[in-house]
Amino acid sequence: MKKLKITIKRYDGQKSWNQDYEIDYEKGRTVLWSLTMIREKLDSTLVFSSACQHGICGSCAIKINGKTVLVCQTPLDSMLNLFKTDRLIYEPMSHFEVIRDLAVAWEPKMEKMKKVNPWLIPIEAGTKENGFLQGADDFQKISSATDCILCGICTSECNQLEVNDGTFLDPFIFNKAYRFAVDSRDCASEDHVHPAYENELWKCLHCMQCVSNCPKHIDLTGEISALRNMSMKMGETKNQGARHARAFYEDTWKKGQLNETMLPIKTDGLLKTAATKVPFALRMMKTGKINPLELQKPVNGIKGVRELYDYAKEVEKSES
Amino acid sequence: MNLKYGFFPGCTLKSAEKELMMSTMEVARALGIELIELDGWTCCGASHIQDYDEFTATLVNARNIALGEKLGVEKIVTVCNTCTLMLRTAKKKIDEDGELKEKVNTGLERAGMQYKGTAEVTHLLWVLLEDYGLERLKEKVVRPLNGLKVANFYGCHILMPPNVMGFENPKNPQSMELIAEALGAETVNFDQRLACCGFHAVFPAEKEVNKLTRINCLSPKEAGADCLVTPCPLCQMQLDAYQPGAQKGLDQDITIPVLHLPQLIGLALGIDPDKLGIQRHVVDVIPMLRALA
Repeated sequence: MKKLKITIKRYDGQKSWNQDYEIDYEKGRTVLWSLTMIREKLDSTLVFSSACQHGICGSCAIKINGKTVLVCQTPLDSMLNLFKTDRLIYEPMSHFEVIRDLAVAWEPKMEKMKKVNPWLIPIEAGTKENGFLQGADDFQKISSATDCILCGICTSECNQLEVNDGTFLDPFIFNKAYRFAVDSRDCASEDHVHPAYENELWKCLHCMQCVSNCPKHIDLTGEISALRNMSMKMGETKNQGARHARAFYEDTWKKGQLNETMLPIKTDGLLKTAATKVPFALRMMKTGKINPLELQKPVNGIKGVRELYDYAKEVEKSES
Repeated sequence: MNLKYGFFPGCTLKSAEKELMMSTMEVARALGIELIELDGWTCCGASHIQDYDEFTATLVNARNIALGEKLGVEKIVTVCNTCTLMLRTAKKKIDEDGELKEKVNTGLERAGMQYKGTAEVTHLLWVLLEDYGLERLKEKVVRPLNGLKVANFYGCHILMPPNVMGFENPKNPQSMELIAEALGAETVNFDQRLACCGFHAVFPAEKEVNKLTRINCLSPKEAGADCLVTPCPLCQMQLDAYQPGAQKGLDQDITIPVLHLPQLIGLALGIDPDKLGIQRHVVDVIPMLRALA
């Protein structure tokens, strides 16, 4: 009979080790089945969490061969085929404190989430007796964001959290900030957006891991972009991230293409650029990568490009 | 398959990453792929412009795609992951939303243009696999890269999000390995193969991205690779031009040359390394070339 080899990263609260297991392969099973088989037949000390078995409770996410998935809805065969292997490696999610084996701690994350005031700050129109009325259009704005099941996959896959000191908010926390910031029943967008801004909103690397791995297909990257836009509209425009985004917007209007030589100055300001970017700039000039003397001509049809900018402003005005 | 494409170079090919322009054109010529540069293309917004204004991001990229449609080509090809993502994102939004399409075209009309939705947006890596074919590529190899250990660094935006990009499974892609092996090179598996280069946050997250660059260079080096290869000029710039900065203050040597995908192909096609712009790298590629010779 075909055997399935599984290595699990174990942790008993003090030490960590890799443990190999072997179970009989059965076609059409889920990863959760393999974990249950191991615990029931081979090793009752193995700790993992799962509850609903239907991708709703969000409690069973682990890493398999480096990629985080909900084990209850992941077929074993899909993983075996994807990695072309008969050995799978199970690990707890990254960027979480591990309690035991594959079980991670959520309390620190919940504490961190409080920073964005993840609750409704109600408008006056709502009452305890009658609740709130919300139209279909307004509901659509929060519909996808409220699908979050707090599984933590976005956190585990986040590239910024891999190198961050822990200040950067987990993607699901940004989702929570966004969800209340755009809720028509909430009267204090700023109370959700501003803490997101203060907690390194602009440090998102735009790697798209969160949005690509979310089992509920929430557009987390789009939400982060919307939060950035809201923060700028709330006046937070004098930071590197906002100035960088603005440089792309303006350069495209001016010449159609980016002025790479000027980009650091536009983003960091002249003084900071002079203080920090000189060795980098010299390296770039030495290899011919930047040439400050090169003149940039506007692209053909630049007038049309500017027409588009005017048009976008008109549309925004008419829709607001 | 007709090998005639609209070509969207993207801003870096006109400035910091001119060697990617050089190597792309050399390789296309050698393979008989016709690349017609779109006349009047603009910056795609590089995954930043939508933070400032999302609708403008869609409009400028609709215009870019419309320039390609005007050429009558089936596909617009790029050599930058992020350009591919930005153009495909705009295209997907417009193609799936009739109302948006109408709104976009009302704007484009003022510029005397129209977005039809007839041209696909693709990347040279995909063209080589989908249209050109590995067997044909193998036949063109005159200088197989035998003995060269290549670490493929995909970069995020050629893979994700899969509902926009969709060429291969982002959890375990193989396209880069297939090309490198067709060229005779040996591919090296390494922890950071699918990591982010951090380029898009190099200003606001300088410290973190610097750390990421260290890991991204050390990981392939420790796995025994001779070089990194990437299909994205932004990854290349981050890993190459920022490498000396990432090395600073570190005892361990992280030095590893970083090639653009067309440069790797060009070497196997026997193209003179100078014509591929090899001398324009911050991290010297020459020692690697000597070892290969």
